[in-house]
Amino acid sequence: MLSDYSATLTLIALTAIFAYSFYAVLLAGQLSLGQAGLASLAGFSATIVVPDDPIAGLSPLVVGIPVGMAVGALVAFLLGLPVMRLRGVFLAIATLGFGEMVRIVLINAEWTGGAQGTTLPKLVTPGIAWGALLLVAYWFWRLGGSRLGRALAALREDELAARAMGVDVSRYRMTAFVTSGAVAGLYGVLIAYFSRFITPDDFGFSAAVDGLVTAVVGGSLMFLGPLLGSAFLTSVPEVQRALGVEAGWIRPFLSSALLLVVILFLPGGLSSLIPRWRSPKVDPDVSPPELAPLPARGSPVLSLTGLGKAYGGLHAVRDVDLELRSGEVLGLIGPNGAGKTTLVNLISGLAAPTSGSGTVLGRELGPIGRGHLFAKAGVSRTFQHSKLFDRLTVLENALVGAHVVSRPTLLRRLLWLPSARRDEQRALAQAGAQLTRVGLGDRAGVPAGELAYGDRRRLEIARALAGHPTLLILDEPAAGMNHVEARELSTLIRSLADDGITVLLIEHNVRMVLETCTRILVLNFGEVIAAGDPATIAKDPVVIEAYLGSDGPADTRV
Amino acid sequence: MQQVLNGIFAGSIYALFAIGFTLVFGVLDRLNLAHAATFTVSAFLGIELVADLGLSIWAAIPAVLVFGALLGLIIERLAFRPLKGRNDAHFAGLISSIAVGGMFMALLLARYGPDTRRFPAEAFPTTDFQLGGVRITLLQLVILGVSLGLMLGLAFLVNNTGLGRGMRAVAENPHAARVLGVNVDRVTATTFAISSALGAVAGVLLAFYVNSAQMTMGFNIELKGLAVIIVGGMGSLKGAMVGGIALGLAEVFAVQYVGSSWRDVVAFGMLFGILLVRPQGLFGPRQVREV
Amino acid sequence: MRLRTVHVASAATLALLLTGCAGDDTTDTAAPPQTGEGSGDSCVLEDPVPVGAALSLTGAAASYGQSQQKGLKVALDDLAEKEGVTYDLQVEDDATDPKQGIAVFEQFISRDPVSIILGPTLSNAAKTTNPIAQEQGVPVLGISNTAAGITEIGDWIFRDSLPETAVIPQTIAKAKESLGLEKVVVMYSNDDAFTESGYQAFEAALADEGIETTETLTFSKADTDFRALLTQAKAAQPDAIVVSGLIEAAIPLVTQARELGLDMPIIGGNGFNSPQLMADAGEAAEGVVVGAAWNSASESAENAAFLEAFRAKHGGDPDQFAAQAYTGMLLVDAAVREGCSADRAAIQENLGGLSDIPTPLGSFSFEEREPQHPAVVQVVEDGAFTVLD
Repeated sequence: MLSDYSATLTLIALTAIFAYSFYAVLLAGQLSLGQAGLASLAGFSATIVVPDDPIAGLSPLVVGIPVGMAVGALVAFLLGLPVMRLRGVFLAIATLGFGEMVRIVLINAEWTGGAQGTTLPKLVTPGIAWGALLLVAYWFWRLGGSRLGRALAALREDELAARAMGVDVSRYRMTAFVTSGAVAGLYGVLIAYFSRFITPDDFGFSAAVDGLVTAVVGGSLMFLGPLLGSAFLTSVPEVQRALGVEAGWIRPFLSSALLLVVILFLPGGLSSLIPRWRSPKVDPDVSPPELAPLPARGSPVLSLTGLGKAYGGLHAVRDVDLELRSGEVLGLIGPNGAGKTTLVNLISGLAAPTSGSGTVLGRELGPIGRGHLFAKAGVSRTFQHSKLFDRLTVLENALVGAHVVSRPTLLRRLLWLPSARRDEQRALAQAGAQLTRVGLGDRAGVPAGELAYGDRRRLEIARALAGHPTLLILDEPAAGMNHVEARELSTLIRSLADDGITVLLIEHNVRMVLETCTRILVLNFGEVIAAGDPATIAKDPVVIEAYLGSDGPADTRV
Repeated sequence: MQQVLNGIFAGSIYALFAIGFTLVFGVLDRLNLAHAATFTVSAFLGIELVADLGLSIWAAIPAVLVFGALLGLIIERLAFRPLKGRNDAHFAGLISSIAVGGMFMALLLARYGPDTRRFPAEAFPTTDFQLGGVRITLLQLVILGVSLGLMLGLAFLVNNTGLGRGMRAVAENPHAARVLGVNVDRVTATTFAISSALGAVAGVLLAFYVNSAQMTMGFNIELKGLAVIIVGGMGSLKGAMVGGIALGLAEVFAVQYVGSSWRDVVAFGMLFGILLVRPQGLFGPRQVREV
Repeated sequence: MRLRTVHVASAATLALLLTGCAGDDTTDTAAPPQTGEGSGDSCVLEDPVPVGAALSLTGAAASYGQSQQKGLKVALDDLAEKEGVTYDLQVEDDATDPKQGIAVFEQFISRDPVSIILGPTLSNAAKTTNPIAQEQGVPVLGISNTAAGITEIGDWIFRDSLPETAVIPQTIAKAKESLGLEKVVVMYSNDDAFTESGYQAFEAALADEGIETTETLTFSKADTDFRALLTQAKAAQPDAIVVSGLIEAAIPLVTQARELGLDMPIIGGNGFNSPQLMADAGEAAEGVVVGAAWNSASESAENAAFLEAFRAKHGGDPDQFAAQAYTGMLLVDAAVREGCSADRAAIQENLGGLSDIPTPLGSFSFEEREPQHPAVVQVVEDGAFTVLD
């Protein structure tokens, strides 16, 4: 009976492959819709090179598939260069536009046969289709637990936080893009040699939309998603036929209605129905990796000269000089809008200075987009408004923090090499250790989005620590904490300093700052108005005037 | 010169359609892909009103406007409101609006059948004007007038009325707007209603312009509409107006000087060009700091 | 309410079971090799002959597919009046998607086996689906496929729709004779296989007749605003405008041309052959020359009967799609009765041998599985098609 459905089964496999090309970019949070155009180019390129006869007993597809995938990947790369910086809907529209341009160019071209297309031999059997599908699915399965996969997920959830954790955003986006191109190319070749016919119109706007729908219905968070989506959507017309639904307008109506129901009631798609059978867990017998020792006390960590940042006419930060040495705990205080966060953005490489210069852990401050390099150099930070990866678990959030101290594992995972597992376990141990350090060890499997406010702040710190930073920047970590929690935090910070980590702390809780820090810098209107040890600062009249309140140092809570 | 006029007339319809997209995107940060279906269904309805119920084409315009507003409310209710607060609302909204659009098109097929429909020839006024070698019909002038009028009316609404203030507040920051007492749900529903009403009128105007309505008309204009809002700037009403007319003109000049088979490439060429050179579009807002 | 795994799993299982059950009605993969007594009109077959029609009832080609479905229904009614053989026609929708067409063909070949498949609506779909039927030995009769490369797929593939290459040369020849053409502008939609092959036929015929093509303008099949192109055409001052387009383009094109002051004759191909042309373009359609496979004004007995039956059943006039579909069913009936068999191989053999069958298309024969019947060059006069002389 299975052979009666051979075409349908093959189509399920091929449609799933196409959906995987969307999955590849949706994983990284990019809504790219150019895959149909890429598939078209790949399919037509294959028609030029695929020979009529088998080569050495192998199907002529042996030539076609690599060529198609290479074309898909290459064009994706070229397309990606200009459109990579676009986000969200802009990217979607640009890539749709690309797809249309491809369609028009190919239709006008002579060698493709134009609207009348090219007839091809049927070379794709159900075996080949499912074999290709299984390979693609395997790739994405192994991607899921790898360092790259986690980095892509982090990128999807919060790009800026990912960058701050050392994820090279541009390169990883391009990787996702190129992967998507290769998979789309595979689809293009296979569908052409299955349908026995290829015409540019089959790869137009509606094909792109269908592919996107398949991927989203299946679910873009889990590797089985595209397969489920494809099986579901390909079966709907068959089921309608079997149920005796009359051919005509009713069928598209029911299909659309069903799609709406799935989207509304199954966030996360069909794959969200599959329970996660195995979350990564920390193996208690594995110890964290041996990490490079932190620099000796007193060695220079950062040096800023006349640093400034202006947005149009507004000087957020103006003419800041600062030297920071290893082992210090520097407090940064000042009224709201004083430029504290901006200064910290400059130091962590997430913003570019407009005047002055600075060096942080050996790296020059420069144009933006290189935030990940600072993370690699040993800078780590938390954010004023928690930027957690909400759909990842607590442990996974911390794992992303360990990005800079762990090794890439994807290629070794594909081959099931045990060293990949060992690296994974070590990274997990590192992450787990930081969670324990901040007191979240027992919440490892909880999705970050479900944490209470205080736990969210602590998770941010754990994540920042997982990267074994030399310089840890904390942006208002005690916000919203009561004084018991704030005291615990203060103790934690001092213990970090004792371990050799240099800490830069922005806080409004002045008592905590006075107790915890070895040195304090006061900013107002972007400029440093005072610097010195806590006792001096508390008595400084300029500081009191600007920030602490003229009632005197007794009133030290803001 | 005739070509320039052709471009302007076609462009004003593109602009009116694109404004619907950009309004929803600008205020609510959502892309409504059921807009094209609204466009198509309204065109067919307009023809039915004139051909079967004997309405004059002038009366058909406000009737379709109201109908479009109703469709907008339905779209908002079915496709977008249930997704409020979900963190995949962007993608999910695209798909749910595609689904609702699909349902509309299937119902369209059920009611009107798959054939192209046309206005009866007598429904149109035959007056035309000759001005220095070019021919303009009264109908074309009305189309241009209605398009511009609606667009200006919308601009006035957004800038000078309470509703408009509410829309701008929601566009800036929905949470803050809610806290400040703006009824965000009502503003959302009204925005969709206005957007779809404009798209509906665009549909019936195009049907006037080419004297036909067919199932594929929505898809054709949808891509162009998307190109227009990117070129003009997402969320900018002025941008959609200028962008639409620019596209109309660019197309006719492409036909004239490059070759008709490349005409659609013009729209996308403009799109890519703008994205590379000035990503926020001609009139779009500057990028905002993220941190 | 969130859907839980258990809801979805039960729904999915139910759906699969139903699909499986529905497909299990027939256990063998070939149509019952039914043979009966007698031959021709006296043939008697006990069971209804299963015929499958794979049409585009939704999607971009829906208007053609639905028109074909109407023609088939009229044919079934007419055939029901003849005794001895009954037909069980299953119409399935490929939604103008070749991939769904594959599934439909698979169903007709093995799951719900039929003796012969009619369709699919679009030539491009046929190139994908027909090879499957060819491999499995199931006859296919195309009722609207006019592109090149259809019957070449194999000896199980037939068509009754005259390709453009058979219609257009005589269209141009007649038009030149009647209108005295020297230079023309050619317009066509280059993103549709049918219109593109029509254009190629026009190009060849114009060259053969020594007519100069001053400009070739392309548009998209979804276009409805031709003013820019027509303005350009007007500047070339041609003797006629030759158009290869579908009816959706034909009507606005003709209307806008007249509006812009282009009064020269417009010559169209098969795509123009629809009563909608006169109904919707009104005055503007006067004088339009249409080369077609079906002469709707033919007063032959078969055509008159067809027109009457179609009007009675569906109200309104048929177009060429309906006529070719109707004829297709007649041909199937003739082939079945000839061998008095519903066996696929028998139908294949007898279909190929049909000659001089009276149909609304004229006296019809197959040669090398291609249709042979006279084409017609029509002109619109007083709101109706008449033969051009």
